Amino acid sequence: MSKPPYPQPREDADNAAFLAAWRNGELLIQHCNGCGKSVFYPRPICPHCWSDRLENCRVIGRGKVVSYSLVHRPNDPAFKDEVPIVLAEVALAEGALILARLVSCDAAKVTSGLAVVLPPPDVCARYPLPVFHLADVS
Amino acid sequence: MSSASKPSSDIGILGYAESAYEKKTSRTLISMLAEVARKAVALAGLKREDIDGIAVCSFVLLPDNAVTLAEQLGIPISWGYFGTAGGAGPVASVLNAARAIEAGQARTVLCLAADNYDVAGHYRLMDFFNKALINYGTPNGFGGANGLFGIVQRKHMEIYGTRREQLGRIAVGQRASARLNENALLRGPMTIEDYLNCRIIADPIRLYDCVLPCTGADAVVVGALDRAPAGKGIRILAGFEQHNHPAGEIAPLRGGWELYRDLLWADAGYGPSDMHFVQAYDDYPIMVAIQLEDHGFCRKGEVGRFLADRTFTFDGTFPLNTNGGQLSCGQAGAAGGMIGLVEAVRQLRGEAGPFQIAKASRGLVSGYGMVGYGHGLSSSSIVLERVS
Repeated sequence: MSKPPYPQPREDADNAAFLAAWRNGELLIQHCNGCGKSVFYPRPICPHCWSDRLENCRVIGRGKVVSYSLVHRPNDPAFKDEVPIVLAEVALAEGALILARLVSCDAAKVTSGLAVVLPPPDVCARYPLPVFHLADVS
Repeated sequence: MSSASKPSSDIGILGYAESAYEKKTSRTLISMLAEVARKAVALAGLKREDIDGIAVCSFVLLPDNAVTLAEQLGIPISWGYFGTAGGAGPVASVLNAARAIEAGQARTVLCLAADNYDVAGHYRLMDFFNKALINYGTPNGFGGANGLFGIVQRKHMEIYGTRREQLGRIAVGQRASARLNENALLRGPMTIEDYLNCRIIADPIRLYDCVLPCTGADAVVVGALDRAPAGKGIRILAGFEQHNHPAGEIAPLRGGWELYRDLLWADAGYGPSDMHFVQAYDDYPIMVAIQLEDHGFCRKGEVGRFLADRTFTFDGTFPLNTNGGQLSCGQAGAAGGMIGLVEAVRQLRGEAGPFQIAKASRGLVSGYGMVGYGHGLSSSSIVLERVS
């Protein structure tokens, strides 16, 4: 039996560019030209200042693990062969916080504070949302 | 000094009710709401004709709402409220009902909370809980609330040194109380070793950190205290709600409670050490711990030692979630935000039977809920006192 597909984000005018870029392994983060802050997840106005001068900026995708959980019981059957899911709060170098999976890593070796990077594009393309590698793995 | 929004001392809680908590049910949500509506109004010594306001909190009631529920129950209402604050909603609904009564929009309000789903239904609910989670949580296999609160708990443990054997005292204490509560779904004995060694769900969250999603309904009646049965009125001393604080964080170690804490205690005319019990929203022990910190029972980051030094059974040194709470009774969806309120009223009326606190004339109830991108967005609190 083939592996069930991952649940997908619902594409709309606010997140279409972000999702399209990710399919090519690129991470877009909104930069607010009103207040200079970074925004994740994609929004129609800046939650910091309400400016609509938000610009999608490609970022290199370096960050560090703030905290994480090891999910042994994911809701959707698509994830059941991949447990534990390493679900991390990642602080991107650009300043935004993102909730993301750490993939291709030994869950026992994950600790808070570790540096993370984007995986190669062929790995990224397997996942519906941005994922990260531990910096010393990739 | 009291806040400008201090509730009227003439308005309070007149009656309460709780349905059976069940793992699964064939009953409809409306029938469960109707059951607790009838029981609560009867216990208040009122008739259905006395009710002219309905507040309802429920995840699965949609597409119905407070107004269509009025049609189902056959009562005309001049005020309706549909909670949007998840597990913080029921406490907020009582505060809003009291204000509506004060403003003359209604005289007597029925505040209801119920859901009828099972474990699978809860998982579906969490995957489709709101737009941020649908788009940026569920495609990550985030594990529902368990995965998110694992991140919060690990952060609290790493920053403040909080330990699982300290948090476990909450679950173990509540279970000891629940063993005396016939309406608790989980009544087996639990030791701290059981807590420490149970199955991993979303490390560091384990099975006994989690609630059992279930079916159930709770209700209270809010109205003028001079209509309460003799000796059974419960005064609202103070109450606040707050949403989306702190804004922009994924896994904060604090919530809206910290913003209004000082006003809450000033309005109440009491401080944390004057409370005879606390009914705190217990989706996870770590969130109970954070509520204790944010309400000022101890300083931020020091809850680990606070927990180690106290016992949390109904007859312990710090009576907490004295019917067993959600951790032992089960989490009946949005009713998880009313179970503590009903238990507080039960205790203050002296009607808790085998788990009655010896001295219970005032206490704190706090709510928490509406998980967004990483954590619960809503906080609420109410301080209640028996009318002497």
